[in-house]
Amino acid sequence: MSRLIVVACGAGINTSTVAEDIIKQRVEQEGFTDVVVKRILMADIEGYLARPDLVLVVSMMKIFRKFEVPVFQGMPFLIGTKEEKEVVLQKILDILKKK
Amino acid sequence: MLTFNEKLVALDLDAVDARTVIEVLAGKLHGQGLVVAEYGQQTYAREVEHPTGLPTNPFCIAFPHADADGVKESSLALAILSKPVVFKNMADPEEDLQVFLVLMLANRNPEEQIQTLRNLALLFGQPDKLAALRDQSTAEKAVTWLRGELHLNQQSVPNSRASERRDS
Repeated sequence: MSRLIVVACGAGINTSTVAEDIIKQRVEQEGFTDVVVKRILMADIEGYLARPDLVLVVSMMKIFRKFEVPVFQGMPFLIGTKEEKEVVLQKILDILKKK
Repeated sequence: MLTFNEKLVALDLDAVDARTVIEVLAGKLHGQGLVVAEYGQQTYAREVEHPTGLPTNPFCIAFPHADADGVKESSLALAILSKPVVFKNMADPEEDLQVFLVLMLANRNPEEQIQTLRNLALLFGQPDKLAALRDQSTAEKAVTWLRGELHLNQQSVPNSRASERRDS
């Protein structure tokens, strides 16, 4: 079964596309072939939380609630420095390596 | 292709609020036939629902846009404000941000503009670059500078790592 990362934002056009693309490219570079990165609307998140293949959530919005899977703040992908982007990428890769 | 030229820049714009900035930029895009006449209205409605203010340094920026339906041709409009206006924070709609620079990316298809989005995200993370953009003295200079940073003149190579190239 492939593993799913969702990138959730309020409206889903320009901003989550950046985060999705950066994560996707890095995940491929690191050789994970079983990982799917998908951008979604925060309003649709409930349907994804129930999925057994979901491994983590990247949220472009402030995080107000708890999830069963790890959740990371994705805003650095849009406005962070290279170092700040790298910090979030490392957290994501750590989760993927644990399996 | 992304259309961006000096007629799509509002320099030293003196606007009372976010809505005015959005209407001015949408009006410029509509003036060149790049978006529908209602694009400003659509973008403002979306801004109220899903704000696009970003807490960047040394000043905040905003990145308003609406659905692709109203976009005829992917294009970018830029406003540099003479005094800040309030946009709400994208990550936290309760928070007011004092915004000095507004980039309206009217996008037919986000995947098609992914390289531009990536380059914008690189820019947003560098305070000296944002300051340099704000300090451009004419619309022509602002266009040349931003086209260079976003590598808009060399996008014929798909999936190229434009961010790693230094010549423009």
